[in-house]
Amino acid sequence: MNGQIKFILNGKDVVYAGSAAARLLDVLRDEYGLTGVKCGCKEGECGACAVLLNGQLVNSCMVAMGFVDGSIVLTIEGYKETARFAALDKAFAETAAVQCGYCIPGMVLAAEAVLAENPHPDEATIRSGLSGNLCRCTGYNAIVKAVQAAAEEGAGLW
Amino acid sequence: MVGGYIPFGMQEALEILAGGGCVPYAGGTDLMVKESAADTRYVFLHRIRDLKCITVDAEYFICGACCTYTELLRSRHTPAILKEAISQIAAPAIRNTATIGGNVANASPKADAALILMVTDALVRLQSKRGVRIVPIKELYLGRGVADILPDELISEFWVPLSRARLPYFYEKVGARKALAISRVSFAGIADVSGGRVNHVATAFGAVEDVIVRREEIDGMLTGLSVAEAQALKGEYLAAYDAAIKPIRGRVSAEYRKAVCGNLLGAFFDSHIK
Repeated sequence: MNGQIKFILNGKDVVYAGSAAARLLDVLRDEYGLTGVKCGCKEGECGACAVLLNGQLVNSCMVAMGFVDGSIVLTIEGYKETARFAALDKAFAETAAVQCGYCIPGMVLAAEAVLAENPHPDEATIRSGLSGNLCRCTGYNAIVKAVQAAAEEGAGLW
Repeated sequence: MVGGYIPFGMQEALEILAGGGCVPYAGGTDLMVKESAADTRYVFLHRIRDLKCITVDAEYFICGACCTYTELLRSRHTPAILKEAISQIAAPAIRNTATIGGNVANASPKADAALILMVTDALVRLQSKRGVRIVPIKELYLGRGVADILPDELISEFWVPLSRARLPYFYEKVGARKALAISRVSFAGIADVSGGRVNHVATAFGAVEDVIVRREEIDGMLTGLSVAEAQALKGEYLAAYDAAIKPIRGRVSAEYRKAVCGNLLGAFFDSHIK
């Protein structure tokens, strides 16, 4: 390995000295204590471990640390500090879009990815954008409504 | 540090691969699902700009092996048939990292982007420290999960003939759900029918046998015929594929796969050979 793995994690420069083959999911949870990143399936099927890598939604279970070198990683803990999160948080609460909550960190970051690309998405766009994030509680309708509400009430944030 | 290398250029990557014992890492979406050995060393390819090109020349659509599906979907150069297949692969988070090169190198018969490269008779450019090989994609597949890629080689580019990629097409993916579906059967067909004559027909079936099915000799039955002659031959054409396809059993039965193949082939024929 040519040097250490350096990246920006939730706005801070970090240097990771472990294996380049380690999973980003495991490193975020075990090395950096970011347990908002949930482990659901470890095979890219559920989206519970989703984070933003250079602004793009990725499943952290499917990313090796070498791939992260030089990148910007944003987890739900970092996103929580933003006005955009506040708008989504309010909308998810008001539409009762959260039940057990396990999928929600990934779901919120998927919603951010949808709204960052299209601040006024139609329902089909939202459903497509969230299609990699599984929720076993809500049946999705409340979550879709929450994203629609955030887009309306958070106008100008995206 | 253990676990890999992050080369900044193609030559550096090829030097590392020539040393042996390394696994190329493009998007990682197939590699990370597999249980890797504790001493696995990856060669991370994401910083090699040569592997990220998307362009066209007079004859080919050319894309680098490390282009992600999202990048290919966003490019104005990407042929519509390839975009249609890619848009149905997995979900956004996976399309943001998964690459077309990884899809081909994994050599799965269920690889949806590879199906399009097969039906369009794409060429694969392989590069090593020893030189360059250009191989028709059909010759790359040796078996389920086995591609003719030597340990010191990297797929660098795919060349898709525009004369094929821009033909009217038919694409259908049959899966258990809309997103995150692994194909149970996939089918692509292209047809060049003009002046009342069938000039070219190509089909490919995915998730049916150990490798993607591409039977040029059967499709060739229709080449050069008038539309009326081709339509009269429809039964024989479908029967030839029915005899040729030997479906595997999996989550769905072999009988189901074969029936779906026949239905999709028939739908392609009816909609495009006219």
